[in-house]
Amino acid sequence: MRVAVIGGGIAGLSTAYFLAKMGAEVEVYEQKYLLYGASGRNSGGLTAQFADEDLIKLALRSLELYESIQSEVGFNFLLRRDGYIKIAGEKDAATLEEEVSYQRKKGLDVEILQPNEVKEYFQDINSNAFALASYYRDGGVVFPWPVIWGLAKGCRKLGTRIYDYSAVRVEVSGSEVLGVRVGDELRKFDCIVNAAGAWSKQISEQAGVEHENKIVKEEICVTESLKPYINPYILDISTGLHLSQSMRGEIVGGMVGREVEKINVKGSYDFLIRYARRVTELVPKLKGLSVLRQWAGVYDVGKDGKPVLGFTKVRGFVQANGFGRNGMSLGLAAGEALAKLILKGKNREIEKFSPT
Amino acid sequence: MKDRKVVCRCEDLTEEDIIHAIEMGYDNLESLKRFTGATTGPCQGKGCLMHIIRILCQKTGKSPDEVGVTTQRQPVNPVPLYVLAKGESEGEEGEEGGKE
Repeated sequence: MRVAVIGGGIAGLSTAYFLAKMGAEVEVYEQKYLLYGASGRNSGGLTAQFADEDLIKLALRSLELYESIQSEVGFNFLLRRDGYIKIAGEKDAATLEEEVSYQRKKGLDVEILQPNEVKEYFQDINSNAFALASYYRDGGVVFPWPVIWGLAKGCRKLGTRIYDYSAVRVEVSGSEVLGVRVGDELRKFDCIVNAAGAWSKQISEQAGVEHENKIVKEEICVTESLKPYINPYILDISTGLHLSQSMRGEIVGGMVGREVEKINVKGSYDFLIRYARRVTELVPKLKGLSVLRQWAGVYDVGKDGKPVLGFTKVRGFVQANGFGRNGMSLGLAAGEALAKLILKGKNREIEKFSPT
Repeated sequence: MKDRKVVCRCEDLTEEDIIHAIEMGYDNLESLKRFTGATTGPCQGKGCLMHIIRILCQKTGKSPDEVGVTTQRQPVNPVPLYVLAKGESEGEEGEEGGKE
């Protein structure tokens, strides 16, 4: 089977990697360069703290795959599984509690922490700045850049060509895919995977397939480096603040994004102010630390905040998008599941996320 | 050690490291930056970017115009968080960020 994957981010490369491993002939098309999209602009948080059983399963499988793929492809992902902590203010404490009881019922090793207990994992957090926390000890942080380089290396080793700076157009005949147009040339494929993230709507339109994903812009900044001392990744579900420390020592932090009409990846002053206010309230000790660099990225979110994975009404046209801010947490397992779906025609693991 | 030509002090990269990366296929500026980490350390490219562009030109035969430059990210110089926290936010949609 010949498959074209559109989008060289974690969703596309992971799908390509597993397809190639299972014997398909795969080509990947990236409109810009690898890491241009959300896979190169996110903060690398990894968790399984989802309010959906199938998402939890995908996240757990992804964590396993991070461990195995980095040795398979020979690339250090700078993976650090030192925990993921969600914190919540008064108004969201009940939601967080409900979520944890659901996750525990599904067998996830997650627990409720009181604010002063969070100090055991991060001593400098201001326990007056939130009401409740949920701790997932197996979560953590990964550096997205080597993840993408490693997957690309793995794909190439398996004979998969990756074309960068190659925008393509999907060509459909009747209700079946024909292939992709690269410049004037039509390259024929049996299957086309739409893993174009925030750009996937345009790809769906070319195929004549409905697409309801929303686009969200999120901003992040990094500070100067400190000796590594913050272990977990922290996400405040009430204010949207998130922060973690990279293996290079920088504090990587941002605010959960907002929906936008048009794609725009410009960093804003307004974000810096909002971030600085909240982060200095949550971790007062960081006050004197300087911001080195800020940037923005866009991702797409499927209906009900869930990814969109699977066959569409156009034969051979497959969706692999809508991951929201959880592409790093879900992308590896989603790629593996999609590869099985494409080659076997069926896969119960991701049935729920089917667009049809 | 005498021959070690350091071109990026923040990430401790020598000219040889950059050449090696280019030979491995990271042969455009955006990839080279994201593979080696050059221009992303404390200097934010102020010390290394011109070296990286020069090596890339020499190695690929491209002109500096063709190689281009990476996006310059704000702030130009590091700014402490306590200073930023005193800035004025436009406050669109109030103080709080979106939900997950």
